[in-house]
Amino acid sequence: MNKQTEKAPIVSNGGRKIKNDIIFIIFLLLIVWCVGLIYALSRADGDTVIVTVNGEITGEYALSDDLTINIESGEGQYNVLVIKDGFAGVEKASCPDGICVAHKPISKDSESIVCLPNKVVVTVKKSEFNDSPDIIA
Amino acid sequence: MKKRISLILVIFIFLQSISLVSCNEKLNKYSAYSFDYFDTVTTVTGYEKSKEEFDSVSSEILSELEKYHRNFNIYTRYEGLNNLCTINELSDGRHRTVEVDGSIINMLLFAKDMYYKTNGKVNVASGSVLSIWHDFREEGKAIPPIDKLKEAAEHMNIEDMLIDAENCTVTLLDPKMKLDVGAIAKGYAVEMVAKKLEEEGKDGYVINVGGNVRTIGKRGDGKNWLVGIENPENNENDPYFAYLELSGDSLVTSGSYQRYYTVDGKRYHHIIDLETLYPGDDYLSVSIICQSSALGDALSTALFCMTLEEGLEMIESIPDAEAMWVTLEGEKITSSGFEKYTTER
Repeated sequence: MNKQTEKAPIVSNGGRKIKNDIIFIIFLLLIVWCVGLIYALSRADGDTVIVTVNGEITGEYALSDDLTINIESGEGQYNVLVIKDGFAGVEKASCPDGICVAHKPISKDSESIVCLPNKVVVTVKKSEFNDSPDIIA
Repeated sequence: MKKRISLILVIFIFLQSISLVSCNEKLNKYSAYSFDYFDTVTTVTGYEKSKEEFDSVSSEILSELEKYHRNFNIYTRYEGLNNLCTINELSDGRHRTVEVDGSIINMLLFAKDMYYKTNGKVNVASGSVLSIWHDFREEGKAIPPIDKLKEAAEHMNIEDMLIDAENCTVTLLDPKMKLDVGAIAKGYAVEMVAKKLEEEGKDGYVINVGGNVRTIGKRGDGKNWLVGIENPENNENDPYFAYLELSGDSLVTSGSYQRYYTVDGKRYHHIIDLETLYPGDDYLSVSIICQSSALGDALSTALFCMTLEEGLEMIESIPDAEAMWVTLEGEKITSSGFEKYTTER
């Protein structure tokens, strides 16, 4: 009963109000879509290089930056991490085996460089991981 | 006007609820690293809604690994614990029977079984030889002289290791014999921990101890785990030797590039062929896919030290076990069912 009396004005006002509403809804959806797109794009840009020493995170850096970081792991031990052109690699290190220095520079999600003697792990974390591997071994 | 406001409200509530639902169900990928176990790096990976949930499972995994690490340790003794180091040290004296934990007995029984299955390529009684390599690698200056290795190789007859499962004792009959479980213990421990989690119904995790990858169930979002086998060469077109889908399976890779030291410009890696007593030099890596990480660990070492023909014959005789060899030239060879696990990147 109530419904019918409320419905009446819309019909009587013709299609204009409904049309305005539809435009408004489309406008709203566009805004939401834009916000989502900006969010997704900003996330895609947020690829990071994570450094852990003995299991503790000691630094997070943008893969897009050009940086040289001296990772100190105590008792004078060090690994020099170089981030350049979207790749992260260990350029120099105090460890005896040099396996981390010989490791290829990394750029892909879940890729890592491990220095066992210094207990250092350098990992790439991509913000978009739809089709990237969970584990690289 | 009133109509319009209520319409807008409805839309907003609708959008809000969508984003709330998707936020609630959004799983994040977490990883934890440890250098405390088996002389290598351990990575636990899982998808969870919160860091707290991940931490509670990953800390359970790590503390379970710790137990096995202490029991299977050949370098360090712990107060009030008879471990493999206890057995090794006592083997120098006259009293050589040691009472140990059941997990050690079961692991050594498995190891002895693997000795026969791999025609002696995996031999936990070869500590006399492997400890020499370990010491020279730590020193990093020279390679062991062959005479020293040959003399040590006189003391690795597996029949001199007696296991009394009933009384939980291990006896080494040869006083110069030492145990080295480097080709078995990691994989065995990972398998035991994974099994425990599976029994508790906790899935959606991956344990990786130094290349022994064990997936527990599927990923948190119900999909298979995507696992890449790293190409150690810097090759943008071919970054992975293989790209796999796993769920509940193990992937174990033995690679010459994982651990080595360099003498006079030549690399000497850690996988010692017990026939030549030197690092096996036929392959860049051997990867095994099978259910059990313990079996995978043993097979990857065994196949690394075999010819391709021997290895193929062995892997094809073991049900549900597959292998991929990468030769020094970068050529990939796979067993007949390996492709079942590979997927498009």
